[in-house]
Amino acid sequence: MLIDINAYVGHWPFMQLKHNTCDALHERMNKFGVDISVISNLNGIFYKNTQSANEELFEEIRSKAKFRDRFIPFAVINPIYAGWRDDLDVCINKYGFKGVRIYPKYHDFEILDPSCIELVKRVRDFGLPVVFNFRMVDSRQRSWIDISNLKNNVIREWNLKSILPIIKAVPDAKYMILNFANAATLNAEEMALIKKTDLLFDTSGRTITNMSDFLKNYGPDKFAFGTHSPILDYLTGLLRIESLSPGEADETIKEMLRSGNAKKLLAI
Amino acid sequence: MSDYINRRKFVSRTALSAAGLLVSDQIMGIPRSGTLEDTMSSEIPVSSYNLMKDVMKYRKLDSHVHAHLFDGGPEGNVSFADRLGIDKMYISLPAYSGEGTPKEFRSYNDLMLKCMKQYPDRLVGQFTLNAIFQKESLEEIKRCVDLGMVGLKVYTQLKINDPLFYPIIEKMIDLKMIIHMHAYAQLGLGGYRMKYNIGIRPQTSIPEDFVEIAQKYPEAMFQYAHIGGGGDWEYACKMFAKYPNIYVDTSGSNNAENMIDFAVKCLGEDRLFFGSDNCYYQSVGKILASNLTETQKKKVFFDNYNSILKKSGRNVD
Repeated sequence: MLIDINAYVGHWPFMQLKHNTCDALHERMNKFGVDISVISNLNGIFYKNTQSANEELFEEIRSKAKFRDRFIPFAVINPIYAGWRDDLDVCINKYGFKGVRIYPKYHDFEILDPSCIELVKRVRDFGLPVVFNFRMVDSRQRSWIDISNLKNNVIREWNLKSILPIIKAVPDAKYMILNFANAATLNAEEMALIKKTDLLFDTSGRTITNMSDFLKNYGPDKFAFGTHSPILDYLTGLLRIESLSPGEADETIKEMLRSGNAKKLLAI
Repeated sequence: MSDYINRRKFVSRTALSAAGLLVSDQIMGIPRSGTLEDTMSSEIPVSSYNLMKDVMKYRKLDSHVHAHLFDGGPEGNVSFADRLGIDKMYISLPAYSGEGTPKEFRSYNDLMLKCMKQYPDRLVGQFTLNAIFQKESLEEIKRCVDLGMVGLKVYTQLKINDPLFYPIIEKMIDLKMIIHMHAYAQLGLGGYRMKYNIGIRPQTSIPEDFVEIAQKYPEAMFQYAHIGGGGDWEYACKMFAKYPNIYVDTSGSNNAENMIDFAVKCLGEDRLFFGSDNCYYQSVGKILASNLTETQKKKVFFDNYNSILKKSGRNVD
């Protein structure tokens, strides 16, 4: 069984995306053997009022019965925008969303902003995961009107150390840290924090140049299949798992990566 | 209606149970909706796609890869070649740092020759040079070709259209070998939109430089490095649409969903080479996930680069 913990529908304003609707993603899943996708709406990154994007996703999933058992929707919440607490409540209690994606850089707040900490704690109290990304796209190919994240500018791509402060602030929350990019080196204390946290990385990110090494360093319980689709291709995240030799990962570990770890974190 | 719901539940739950999954309505959360037609379509089974079988189905020549640069010696290269079914890797070590003196580029080529000797069936070298040192560079081409290397790989010491490159290009035309140049399309780099200047490698070749030199030497063959290297691949592919002697390799850490399809749309199916730039997973994944036909995938993975090698008699059987 395969669960993709990192997929989207919606638009990216600076580049045309393919396979970016529930219908198209559903076809993709059937073609390549993916049973379930955790999805959110990319439009929520760009709408000032993210709840409009959550409503779009809710309606799209609800529009066809075939989507119901295949998609696990996550909300996009901006904790410094009016009404976010109500939005969170609606998304979880009315729409049935199962997690929350947070975009501090795109929504222009610090990761330790008190509102961000409050949001993470509220999601934790629902027993659901919060999601942070290292990045959405490679800053080297950014549009001139995307956020400024090149060298010498204020907002740069995150590495793992950039995300640690929120984990340290709310260590008992559940986290998904997606599209692993940039430096992965941690000191012993930081690695201990990662290991004791209920946390998953997905397998879509470019920093994972040798999956076997990452399994050794972080542990096989810290990774789950993810595509970052439709921004990244649909198969690379899976190839990192399936090309592991039996000596690097036996079938038990591969099943953890394909779906076991995701099911555990998502409590399904 | 109740029959339909029951049948739907039976169908979907049977399928999901068989897959080891039974997710309750409460867990999935979204209230029920949809039409009968929609419901029937949920019966389409998830395919039993076998990724590694698909990976191993295609022969592969890696047209852009390095040894002793990012991730150690040739053992790592060959290990990934075995893992992903790559027949041969065309390795290089350009003057990534330092001045690129003749002593330096000869030593880099010697290192690649040593790798070739270690894995004669798997690794073939692309030689490097620095055209600032004209005489030594031309001598180095002869030395390396005589020792079995194929093709030139150059870096950012000079732009590809610098007049100092002209004698090198003319020599490569004589040899019927391709000129593989590091390149980029990025804001603030190499002369493009320099108000965003990021302060590195001003001599990096940009797509416009390739077009200029390709027009000057239509009989030469140029390989624009790594459309997946982080730069704007749409920009590069559009720029090259009308220049048949510019080829692109698909290597690099970026594996945008539509990259390969867009490149074929712009350049046709004969001007893309499979390459990894040591980003092995992405390099294979993005081609397999594309909408290319079987024949087109075969061309990109193997045939296109082999056709270039054939011109100098260095192709793979």
